[in-house]
Amino acid sequence: MTLTPDEDLMLQVRDGAGETLGVLFDRYQTPLFNFYSKLTGDRALSEDLVQEVFLRILKYRQSYRPGTPFRAWIYQVARNARIDHFRKFPSQTALEPEMLPPVLPTDSAQERQEVELLQRALRQLPEEKREILLLCRFQELKYEEIAALLGCELNTVRTRIHRALQDLRKAFHQLTRGTMLKKAEAAAAENIPPQGGRHEV
Amino acid sequence: MKCEQISELLPDYLQRRLSREQDRNVEAHLEQCAECSEEVIIWRKLSLLPVDQPSPESRARFEAMLQAYQAGRSNQPADDSHPRKQASAWNWNVLHWLRSPVGAMAWSAALLAIGVFAGLRLAAPKPPSPDLVAMQSELTSMKQLVVLSMLQQQSASARLEGVTWSTRDQQLDPQVLSALFHTLRYDASVDVRLAALDALSRHGRQPQVHKGIMDSLQQDQSPLVQVALIDLMLEWRDRDAAHRLQELEQTPNLNPTVRQRVEWAKSKLN
Repeated sequence: MTLTPDEDLMLQVRDGAGETLGVLFDRYQTPLFNFYSKLTGDRALSEDLVQEVFLRILKYRQSYRPGTPFRAWIYQVARNARIDHFRKFPSQTALEPEMLPPVLPTDSAQERQEVELLQRALRQLPEEKREILLLCRFQELKYEEIAALLGCELNTVRTRIHRALQDLRKAFHQLTRGTMLKKAEAAAAENIPPQGGRHEV
Repeated sequence: MKCEQISELLPDYLQRRLSREQDRNVEAHLEQCAECSEEVIIWRKLSLLPVDQPSPESRARFEAMLQAYQAGRSNQPADDSHPRKQASAWNWNVLHWLRSPVGAMAWSAALLAIGVFAGLRLAAPKPPSPDLVAMQSELTSMKQLVVLSMLQQQSASARLEGVTWSTRDQQLDPQVLSALFHTLRYDASVDVRLAALDALSRHGRQPQVHKGIMDSLQQDQSPLVQVALIDLMLEWRDRDAAHRLQELEQTPNLNPTVRQRVEWAKSKLN
């Protein structure tokens, strides 16, 4: 059995079958939620924005044109919803580390640590770099679709992705080195007994 | 190959979009260059990041929103209950409007104004001359004419388009503002009313817009618009929120979804 393409479902929604939107919601709520949560670090806000996206789809469904790739269209709606939100609440733009989802347990301690460092490195990137990596790596948008979404040339998308990846590598590298240094210091501190008497003067 | 050349190919390599030969070239470089190969490793490691799951309530919220929306739509007059027909008529309506005498005049004048404006701008990149200022104001009034004309169209889609047009300007002309308020209160289509609310809410810092929007809460009969207004009231931290919610709650036959939203909003206020 083949799945009905998103585009066909959206055309049904456009023509009045609102309940069909439920199928699209089931397909897209998790990817959209991840797009927002990894971008903003705020779970509650991410859920609100996902709801806003589907409300906007209903409101503006007549602006959906046959032949438009639905995935690209919904991310356009999603970007606009986020931009509008941060225009209304500019103070919330900062990504608060404590709001981030906990790191899920993975197979090994090393992998777990790598995931944590990678999340931290991703958070250190400027928002536009984080966004482009999320769009191409997690949302599986084609470069052409990202170019249309960001309103730039295809080659610009390639350059931006490469720069974002370079920055992520540097941030990850620094964090890994920092962690290794801390471990080495801790190991050294365990081996060398503290020098007594100094503080007694 | 150097890193610079690889950097052009790397994004396509990561998406497996290169030819075999290009693929081999990139791989040969990666074997020699630690930095580039680390980038590929980082890209692959990104797949280790956990997929966050939204809360189970998310689906229920969506259902409630959809129900409220459909309830709102079923309250609309019969002529709006044929969206299929309406959708197919959209293009025709816009074209028809463009061909109509008012549309043709508006567009001709707008194009002329754009042409002169562009000409002046290209010819004289100096401080704005009085001509340029006059032209800019003419262009603005043309845009307003287009908006006002579209808001009066029979087709809901054309009116929706008119509302969208109105959001392109940072400042709203009082005439457009008043037309948008009229749309918010009296338009037959819930979609158009919601879009008008969106457009107006961008100017919520102006006290008269704020008050006008909040006053429409009592008048609107569509649950969807009411819910949107309640949300906006909370967002704006409206001073009279408690009083307005109280009044709304006392409305006979209030839609259950709206009543639920009122209760939720009241709990947020406390």
